[in-house]
Amino acid sequence: MNQIAVKVEDLDKSFEEVHAVNNVSFEIQTGEIFSLLGPNGAGKTTTIGMISGLLTPDAGQVWLMGHSVQKNPKAAKAELGVVPQEIALYDDISARANLNFWGKMYGLRGQALSERVDEVLALVGLEDRQTGKVSKFSGGMQRRLNVGIALLHEPQVIIMDEPTVGIDPQSRRKILDSVKHLCDQGVTILYTTHYMEEAQELSDRIAIMDYGKIVAMGTHEELINIVGELDRITLSMSAESSEVVTLFQGIKGIKEISAEDNTINMLVTDSNQILPDIFETASSVDVRINAVDIQEPNLEAVFLHLTGRALRD
Amino acid sequence: MKILTIAIKDLWRSFRSFFALAFMFGVPILMTLMFAFLFGGIGGEDSEFSIPTTDVLFVNKDEGNSLVSNFESNGEQFTTMGELLLDTLEQDDFADIMTLSSATESEARTMVDEQHAGLALIIPKDFTTILIGQGDSPTEIEFYKDPELSLGPQVVQSIVMSVVDGFSSGSLTLDTVNAVLQGQGITLTQSDQISLMQNSSTEMGFEEVGSTSNLNIISPATVQTSENQSSPLQTILRSIMAGMMIFYAFFTGTSAAQTILQEEENGTLARLFISPTSTATILNGKFLAGFLMIIVQVTVLLVFANLVFDIQWGALFPLILASIGLVALATSFGILVMSLVKGTKQAGIIYGTVLTFTGMLGISSVFVIGTPIEEAFNYLPLIVPQGWAMNAFRASWQGNWVQTLINTAGMLALAVAFFLIGNARFKKRFS
Repeated sequence: MNQIAVKVEDLDKSFEEVHAVNNVSFEIQTGEIFSLLGPNGAGKTTTIGMISGLLTPDAGQVWLMGHSVQKNPKAAKAELGVVPQEIALYDDISARANLNFWGKMYGLRGQALSERVDEVLALVGLEDRQTGKVSKFSGGMQRRLNVGIALLHEPQVIIMDEPTVGIDPQSRRKILDSVKHLCDQGVTILYTTHYMEEAQELSDRIAIMDYGKIVAMGTHEELINIVGELDRITLSMSAESSEVVTLFQGIKGIKEISAEDNTINMLVTDSNQILPDIFETASSVDVRINAVDIQEPNLEAVFLHLTGRALRD
Repeated sequence: MKILTIAIKDLWRSFRSFFALAFMFGVPILMTLMFAFLFGGIGGEDSEFSIPTTDVLFVNKDEGNSLVSNFESNGEQFTTMGELLLDTLEQDDFADIMTLSSATESEARTMVDEQHAGLALIIPKDFTTILIGQGDSPTEIEFYKDPELSLGPQVVQSIVMSVVDGFSSGSLTLDTVNAVLQGQGITLTQSDQISLMQNSSTEMGFEEVGSTSNLNIISPATVQTSENQSSPLQTILRSIMAGMMIFYAFFTGTSAAQTILQEEENGTLARLFISPTSTATILNGKFLAGFLMIIVQVTVLLVFANLVFDIQWGALFPLILASIGLVALATSFGILVMSLVKGTKQAGIIYGTVLTFTGMLGISSVFVIGTPIEEAFNYLPLIVPQGWAMNAFRASWQGNWVQTLINTAGMLALAVAFFLIGNARFKKRFS
């Protein structure tokens, strides 16, 4: 039976009038990749801040590998590696000097530190640039070093807060591969992202957050089942779309529909069968359809179903 | 151990920064060099101190003493010690510093008042009597100065005091020699006695002071006797160098503390808090970094000033005391200032304004030596921490142990207070 690596119980946090995290609870098993998926401002980073001990919760408790973050922070933090959303490096010194410093902050010394730094440099693909000043690195290289620092002390639990934001595809792929590699080694990973594809590719389980709350949690398949086997159609219209929406609502097979400016989102049972009716209806009121996007059921659709908004809104 | 790791990292980063190095070492040295060139030399034996020559009116009211009514010194005949002093000051060595002429007291005062002369040196009528140890009551040499001139008359006063102190030392030597010879039934002639006095004072090189002379000085500004060990140029440069060192040590302390805000904005501070490291350890590491940085800065500047400008800082122990006080105070002041600001943008403005104002006020005594407001500036700068540091260093090179200890204790007390307040504010902020 798997041990619980992370236990979050009734976490709550407000900043003045903003209720950033609202009674959030979940558990992550050892060796599991667990993703928090949600748009910007959903409360993912605040949740992570409380799990890592950076923020004090207004209410609730967090345990890491059995250690209470609130009551025994030193022991809990020793089990944890965090990849912050923003690149947090000393850019006026070399990659190796950065790793040496952070290794010492986690208690590594001497030969053990040197060997571990070599391993991490290899893992993030920066062996050749280890003596280079970090300020001269590309954004992707800095992101990889940012990840590498969190791996130095071989933590049992790693939190990655949107580690692939704003980087090139090559670096992104390297980071995603390193996450999988860590998982294979039995490391527990809590991954936050607003990229549905990443959550889908990496995660054993996903929690969808919105406005500080977890609105759904489960495996990819479990979440997809929430919306059923519905296709998602996005239409770009030539004119303001609210009038057409009323007409579309009469078409058989459309389960949900929402409009914003000239864009219409809908969940339908069979997109191939419905599309001709959609074009015909639009044509009848002299509205032209400029573009059509059809997607099979995915997390984006789940989010839309649960919140009425697109994930990237 | 983690405290040291954080401190070493900060030191390493600072010493790789051109800006930090320039402020720590370059600017204070350049400022002192600028003053040195302004005065015509940078120390050493070949340097020339191009202070404008001061017109000195010599008022010799010395009535002599029957015990030494006529004596010879270096082949010349004198009837009073006042004449001997005038002759000594007329030596070529002092020609670039003063031009001497004799006058009556009223003429001299009028000439100084009308700014036709920079200084009137008024020798009292019992000058000789006091110097040969025959006087009972104290007497006074008066330096009547043009208040608008500071440097020239100050230098002349310094030289005259050196010479007179030398005479006083010679007088002591004469008393001792007389006592020994009289015990053997030998009595020295008047000329022999004067010669012995003068030679003794010359051998002293005007260095030994603090005799039991009954001579007092009347002057708006009294130069401390042990400062006479240095040349006038070095005396001035020492004050300037100390002032610059203190001024920029506080910049270093604040700059070191500013790394807390920089790290907060760069995200590395949050990363430190996520590591198994306490807030106290992180803040103490930052304090240690500033402390070590200023130790290096102060040490380099003190040694550099000694080697290049030939500045004598006085005895080592009081100098170390004053330096430790400065290092602790500048570091903790930086922590306090940075704990009061929200971010680096605000810090830049506050930092520049607060440090420039407090720094200039703190070292202002350097720039008012010999002026009528000098007295006030012995105390006014103490309202800012830099003033305590300046006083400690001045007391240190003057050999005034009591004042050095008092000022160092004051600095350490302020340092503890600043550190505790700053630390508490940062802890609250990061809790």
